[in-house]
Amino acid sequence: MVEKIAIDPITRIEGHLAVHIEVDEGRVAGAFCKGEMFRGFETILKGRDPLDAQQITQRICGVCPVSHGMASVLAQEQAYGITPPQNGRLMRNLILGANYIQSHIIHFYHLAAVDFVDLAAIAQYTGKDADLLQFKNWVLAQKASSAVYPGAPFFPRYEGHYLNGTEANTIAIKNYLEGLRMRALAHQMAALFAGKLPHVASLVPGGVTEQVTAQKIAAYGAMLHDLRGFIDQCYLPDVLAVAAAFPDYFKLGKGCGSFLAYGGFLESDDGKDKFLPGGVVNAGKLSALDPGLITEDVRYSFYNSPSGLGPTAGRTEPDPRKQGAYTWLKAPRYQGQVMEVGPLARLLVLYLQGSNAEARRWVDHVVRQLNLKPEDLVSTMGRHAARAIECKLVADRCEHWLAQLKPGAPTCTEFAIPKQAQGQGLCEAPRGALGHWLEIADHKIGHYQCVVPTTWNCSPRDDQGRPGAVEQALIGTPIANAQHPLEAVRVVRSFDPCIACAVH
Amino acid sequence: MPEISRRQFMLLSAKLAALLGVSTTALPAVARAVQTLASGQAPLLWLQGQSCSGCSVSLLNAVHPDPVAILTRYVSMQFHGTLSTATGELAMSVLNDNIRRGGYLLAVEGAVPAAMPEACVIGGEPFAQQLLRAAAAAEAIVTVGACACYGGIPAAENNPTGSQSVREYLQANGIAKPLIAIPGCPVHPDWLVGTLVQVLAFGVPELNADGAPKMFFDRLVHDQCPRFADYERENFAAHFSDRGCLFKLGCLGPVTHADCPTRLWNAGTNFCINAGAPCIGCSSKEFSRSMTLPFYRKSEQAQIKADKA
Repeated sequence: MVEKIAIDPITRIEGHLAVHIEVDEGRVAGAFCKGEMFRGFETILKGRDPLDAQQITQRICGVCPVSHGMASVLAQEQAYGITPPQNGRLMRNLILGANYIQSHIIHFYHLAAVDFVDLAAIAQYTGKDADLLQFKNWVLAQKASSAVYPGAPFFPRYEGHYLNGTEANTIAIKNYLEGLRMRALAHQMAALFAGKLPHVASLVPGGVTEQVTAQKIAAYGAMLHDLRGFIDQCYLPDVLAVAAAFPDYFKLGKGCGSFLAYGGFLESDDGKDKFLPGGVVNAGKLSALDPGLITEDVRYSFYNSPSGLGPTAGRTEPDPRKQGAYTWLKAPRYQGQVMEVGPLARLLVLYLQGSNAEARRWVDHVVRQLNLKPEDLVSTMGRHAARAIECKLVADRCEHWLAQLKPGAPTCTEFAIPKQAQGQGLCEAPRGALGHWLEIADHKIGHYQCVVPTTWNCSPRDDQGRPGAVEQALIGTPIANAQHPLEAVRVVRSFDPCIACAVH
Repeated sequence: MPEISRRQFMLLSAKLAALLGVSTTALPAVARAVQTLASGQAPLLWLQGQSCSGCSVSLLNAVHPDPVAILTRYVSMQFHGTLSTATGELAMSVLNDNIRRGGYLLAVEGAVPAAMPEACVIGGEPFAQQLLRAAAAAEAIVTVGACACYGGIPAAENNPTGSQSVREYLQANGIAKPLIAIPGCPVHPDWLVGTLVQVLAFGVPELNADGAPKMFFDRLVHDQCPRFADYERENFAAHFSDRGCLFKLGCLGPVTHADCPTRLWNAGTNFCINAGAPCIGCSSKEFSRSMTLPFYRKSEQAQIKADKA
């Protein structure tokens, strides 16, 4: 008998997501991702000053504003026919890199790991660490308190199988607490060049408005040193420890098996060379990306605009009571195909492209240490491992970009806004491939469309009825307790969904 | 209940006094407030409407007290969509049981899609409806960030969802509760934490005409600006990344009330104008609302130049 379960809301992600699953004989047989929030950014942008775009679009998402700002300035720069000077390009990499670090740390420790780590194990802690003792005392005091839900927001939780052993759990809890400080430090590091975070002030078409000074280089370097220490000593080992304890999750949540990356972090001023390259992976084979093959279907989405259009022609006309529709997300497809985007997609492209020896070394190391086959990385736990490896690669590379900055050299290129122009801005947000498409008409924004990482991952069925990447990944997931579908939320959270982004 | 030593307690009080901008003569009062809060029992419900979660992320950038201290020593964060371990039906039980009990402080992040309730749904219930239930049982409400306070980008010109601020929406639905606006896009963590401490310990702070605490939003950015001397000497930046006053690039500091120039962001690291970026007025009621008031005035100049060429 098929049992229907509505997991609504899915907390510990960004934004408003519900997942409805159908469980048949203890396994997920059908899944529907419902994005439950819409604001209409693309409509609001129309008619505005093009320079408003990088500020407005950053507000699509408070977790990855830098990436939206970046996609927007790249689209504008293509329209204005300019590129930033080296200092501008490098500062952008350093701001984006810092936000990758904060985003990946918060995703693992504060959003996803809580599904694996046993927070209740803190009650058995007998050590002397000040953070852990304070947390333990608080949890014990809460148990005796009159709060409606003692220990909230850490409790209550789904019952199920969590990590065993007081020591393993207390290490992870310690790093949950430390991770909060580290992610704030990553934002502080970004703010040296960004002005502030969330929502960067200094990012403009032509470059970055902040100056490069030796003091800023030194401060960034010192903070980066601490963050790299945390990534090497805590984040990577903790992911490997959780992965070793839950090997099943290298078999679960495999998904559609096709991957898309636009590439990000420019390594040359002309924008051709990227630290994380773009590409498409199908059946384990890498091919070149053609953005002209991207379309968006809306048959199951709350829009009455035409289906199957590319982003330069795409429209966003809401129809909240549309018959048969179940989500505010559109269904993007590449050459008609369902695609997964994100750190796993980027790492696969990087690995297959073969030019980054460190990436190969880390992937091979993880596969060997956990006794896996390389294809096992395409899984729930593989996504966590890929994110952690990427975090290390990006943090290490920030050191290189920092060393190339030149105090006093220009950071911005001058430009004029043409009467008519078009631009496409493709980059990589922490959650995956992000594109903005801009058309300028009479010096104003005539048309603006965003195709966002979670729009790919949490996409609904397309016009042909093919389920999206997360919907496919859920199929076959065993559900031990229908009241506590812990296994399903583990699969969903491995994609690091961001619904404010996906719908915008 | 965790005991906090007198020494810890006075140190924390001094930090809070600095945070709130009160003089050290007020320390004993602040100290009493901290003691009340030290029980960590003030229940807080945090709801997200049409939001980007940027204000929640900004709250996590709080330094003194840091997020762990806030969650374990200041408030009992009963529900927060981004932080709560509880998910699905369990999360809805946490929310609904708290609403049934009442007596909490309600924090709202994000605007309300008043004309299209389907545009924000949580646990199968339109957020607009949930907000009315949660507000009716709350002791007081803090609206966090531009969208909840004034509507922000979701309510900007041409928006398709008929979006409103929390205050507008509650008024239209006849719910009267003490409501404090803590604007900004995003909110500065000090503004939020400082206001929470004020509300829990001393009651509603003195507010400006837009309902925001005067202790943070009384003075113009321009009047406290480190580039004010450039303005006086008419030393204006003409291009992005130029030094000098940013007024001619469109800086909205002269019409924006906030203490960013003295408070700074991200643990005192930087702020927009120090980074060469014009103030975009994110703490103003009018922030982002009209397409005839763009963030920069560069386009006008560029356009004139381009049309002449």
